[in-house]
Amino acid sequence: MSYLLLIFLPIVLSLLVYFITRNTGSAKYMALGFFVVMLIHSTYLYTQLPESGYMLLGSFLNIKAFDFELVLQVDRLSVIMLLLTSILLILVALSSWTVKKQAAYFSLLIFFSGAIFGVFMSTNFMWFFIFWELTLIPMYFLVGIWGAEGRVYAAVKFFLYTHVASMFILLAFFLIYKQSGTFDMTLIKDAVLVTPALIWWLLFVGFAVKMPLFPFHTWLPDAHVQAPAPVSVLLAGVLLKMGAYAMIRMVILMLPLQAQKYAWVILVLGLLSLLYAGFMALYETHVKKMVAYSSISHMGLVAIAISAISFDSLSAGLYEMIGHAFIISPLFLIAGFLHHKTGSWQMGDMGGIMQKAPYISAIFVLAGLGALGLPATMGFIGEITILISAIETYGTWLIIILLGSMLSAAYLIWTFRRVIYGEMSELVMKTDFTMSKPEFISLVIFAIFIVLFGIYPQPLFDMINQTFSAYTSIGGAL
Amino acid sequence: MNIEIYFLLLLPFVGAVATFIAGKQNKNLAFWFAETIGIILFLLTFYTFITFSEPLSFDFNWFTFGETTLPFGIYIDNLSLVMLLIATGLGALDIHFAHDYMAEEKDQARYYAKILFFIGGMILLVSAKELTGLFVGWEFMGLASYLLISFWHQNTAPADAGVAAFLYTKFGDIFLFASIGLLFYYAGTLDMMKLNQPAVNGMISTSVTHMIAIFIFIAAIGKSGQFPLFPWLMRAMEGPTTVSALIHGATMVNSGIYIVARLFDFYVAAEALIVVAAVAALSAFIGATSALVQDELKKVLAYSTMSHLSLAFIGLGAGSLAAGMTHLVNHAIFKALLFLAAGAVILSAHHVKDLWRLGGLSHKLTLSAIFMGMGVLSLSGIPPFSGFFSKDAVLASTILNPQTYGLISTLTIIAGVLSIAYAGRLWTLIFAGRPRDKELYDKVQTPSKFWIALPLGAMAAATLVLGNYQEELTHFITKKDHIKLHVSWLLPFMMIVLSFLVFLVYYFYNRRPNLREKVSAQPLMKTIRQVLLNGYYIEAMITWFAKNIVVNVVARSISWSEKHIIDGAVNGMIHVSHATFVLFGRTHSAKVSNQAGAMLLGALAIVMIIFIGSVL
Repeated sequence: MSYLLLIFLPIVLSLLVYFITRNTGSAKYMALGFFVVMLIHSTYLYTQLPESGYMLLGSFLNIKAFDFELVLQVDRLSVIMLLLTSILLILVALSSWTVKKQAAYFSLLIFFSGAIFGVFMSTNFMWFFIFWELTLIPMYFLVGIWGAEGRVYAAVKFFLYTHVASMFILLAFFLIYKQSGTFDMTLIKDAVLVTPALIWWLLFVGFAVKMPLFPFHTWLPDAHVQAPAPVSVLLAGVLLKMGAYAMIRMVILMLPLQAQKYAWVILVLGLLSLLYAGFMALYETHVKKMVAYSSISHMGLVAIAISAISFDSLSAGLYEMIGHAFIISPLFLIAGFLHHKTGSWQMGDMGGIMQKAPYISAIFVLAGLGALGLPATMGFIGEITILISAIETYGTWLIIILLGSMLSAAYLIWTFRRVIYGEMSELVMKTDFTMSKPEFISLVIFAIFIVLFGIYPQPLFDMINQTFSAYTSIGGAL
Repeated sequence: MNIEIYFLLLLPFVGAVATFIAGKQNKNLAFWFAETIGIILFLLTFYTFITFSEPLSFDFNWFTFGETTLPFGIYIDNLSLVMLLIATGLGALDIHFAHDYMAEEKDQARYYAKILFFIGGMILLVSAKELTGLFVGWEFMGLASYLLISFWHQNTAPADAGVAAFLYTKFGDIFLFASIGLLFYYAGTLDMMKLNQPAVNGMISTSVTHMIAIFIFIAAIGKSGQFPLFPWLMRAMEGPTTVSALIHGATMVNSGIYIVARLFDFYVAAEALIVVAAVAALSAFIGATSALVQDELKKVLAYSTMSHLSLAFIGLGAGSLAAGMTHLVNHAIFKALLFLAAGAVILSAHHVKDLWRLGGLSHKLTLSAIFMGMGVLSLSGIPPFSGFFSKDAVLASTILNPQTYGLISTLTIIAGVLSIAYAGRLWTLIFAGRPRDKELYDKVQTPSKFWIALPLGAMAAATLVLGNYQEELTHFITKKDHIKLHVSWLLPFMMIVLSFLVFLVYYFYNRRPNLREKVSAQPLMKTIRQVLLNGYYIEAMITWFAKNIVVNVVARSISWSEKHIIDGAVNGMIHVSHATFVLFGRTHSAKVSNQAGAMLLGALAIVMIIFIGSVL
């Protein structure tokens, strides 16, 4: 029963938090405390996991007639996602310390945490889908209320775009139920389905929008730019990862035969995302849009890793997912911070920020170097492992993914030049760049993660490797 | 286990952090931290050198992903040791020199921390056993050079120069990165010693090894400033002169030559040496000719670096590991000497770098003039200075190798002879004759003996003494007993050409300023001068391509398609659905007549459907 609480309590609690803290301003402490509890709990779950397979946490709401049971099960992949999510939620709470209308904001965050935990813990398609959609609601309000100038357009576009994509997923789930008679995702295999190819395509489009892959990515730059910076972190660090997580599950567990057949689709779209978004970022003069396109470009790398479908490549892909979350988040936070302080998005208006705010600039440069794949950062480990494993599967020509590496070097170094270095612009000269302590602490924690797991990635890879070696033993496609 | 190796590898990085923290507390502490660490690093290297008997090799694994393990081993042999001695020895002298040169700098902590990081990158690079470790050091140096070149980041020019340095070298680096992926796939190992063995490189088809060798060479081109990726070397002059000395002498540019030397047998097996020699010969020519006309003190040295690194590449390309590597060692020493001497001049002359404003400084800067003169002689290839022996050996190896005999050896001779001219011109313009800018001349101060002249003297002594130990150096690097180094007829030839050219240069520039103006006013000479001054417009071409083709055509059209096609389709769908909404919205108006009409239409439709259904 306690696991049910982990999901539904926050959803209920969020209302309660709102009414209790509406006048006191203590919502942030409650949220932070709650997320810490979630982290502790996820860590506990990780220690309890069996060597391979799922750990059943209980099944609820058992209505036999509809096969509507809420089955909560976790395996290593889900727990890794839970850990990542709860760490990011803590850091997001810290970096939202000075946000306006706190009670509502933090209760929406708590609501979101419940829904996202539901996504990673449920193995029943119906419930998976309900939670999947439920994450949209708090996100919609977070972008729509706390966002920048064009927030309403961005929020509606984000909501509708991802919602339409979800219809594909829902359709696929119905087809699965019709053809196999079960909503249990652990039981689904190509063999039990009548039209696996159709289902593969429907699911692929649904997940590709979430990831996002070219050409389904256009909701992301808008949503990212308009969202408040901490919400951008949630979007990039958690919401996009839902897509990649579902893609991994589909590729190796649910429809391995179709995935082998259509791996080239993921590969081609991944490559296109990588290069297309790289060029977009190169041409962009809007700081946060540049970061958003860089984010898409890196998710393209993750897609390439998933498409290679090998033990090595999936490990590399999962690592890159985690690395991407830690690298892109400080970039978003600082881009949002700069806009908040200067009132401008344009790189041309900035310059010489290093002279006014050296430590914030240094973290921006460090995260940027991570994004361009400098050794001793998580970005490098992700890049080299994906390169090696992609060449293993596809052969020599996959070295073209390094073109993405060159592009990211070009746009990031050029961004540093325009924003961080050079002579101080008038706007920068008259702006005060003081940051609240909790916000700065969250940036430092991100920086520590980037370097720590960049130099010593083995602990992370131990977790990841166990995940995928476990799948081989339960009949995954590896 | 050899504990000193661990210290050697870790101390620079730990020291960089400590220096930064200490320097933030107290400005003066930064220098003393860095100086101490620099000397300790050199002593550690020297200790390793003395106790060295056979290659030290340690195997470590970095991490395992999936079923693949990436190794990160340490391997120190004769070649690495020579590079380590250069990096730590010249690095320590460079730090010592910076005490006065950077005395006015406010941000000492940042400067010395970055310098130590830079040296640490080089140590890591040359001690790596596998390409992974080498690549980490390689990228660290790229980062450090970026940060140091744009050290004065508040100004536009250094900030731009840093961008150029990073992107030019990064372009090369992605090829090295690619070859790591390819070697892992084809050879199954990244161990550079194994790649040199025929058992490993023989497994792979020659076309693949050839491609990988060329890829690695492209990375070397980027780092060592060869054609066409050299413009960053000249832009790098925007950084502090001590940094230029470190980049051009002790560390960064040597790494390109080091990697080719390290994988020498792999290159032989891949039949790629001739490509190395050809590209290098072209670069040697470009560098030597461009150096002739530069107006700025440091730019002359920058182009001469390019030309001399090419000579080392030519030596390797002609099949002589000994010639290439000895030239690298000799060049590192005399180039660091020349840069630091230039730094002494610049410091004394209140940061004037324009050669035409300097002149006649030998009276005031006697020690600097003598030491720089020794550097110039070594660079020109005059015995008994070390530069002569290795340059001669490079030339001899091109002549002895039938593949490089002809065009490449001719270009080598041209580059060698021209080096006498531009080095002589440089020294003459700074030190000889009468002062051209009287006002500046009066302000020139004699620099400190201990902080400035001592490191210069040490390097000058090294370049002189090393001239007598070339056989031993060759023997140490190649581990072969006897190598014949030079061709005897070249010595008198060089001497004659030298004395003639120096006389000409001196006469041309100092005695008859009118003649110079008259000659350079000629349209043809003017054009040639412009082309050479701008380094054959290679940078302009690359910049044009990047700006106009990559950004303004490719990126811009992609940006256009994003707005009008990819996102346009999404927004178009919104418009369509909005239009449909408006269209059907009209039918839901409150007018009774409309509703009645709609009802009628609906009823009619149902009747039609039933009718059609029954007929079918």
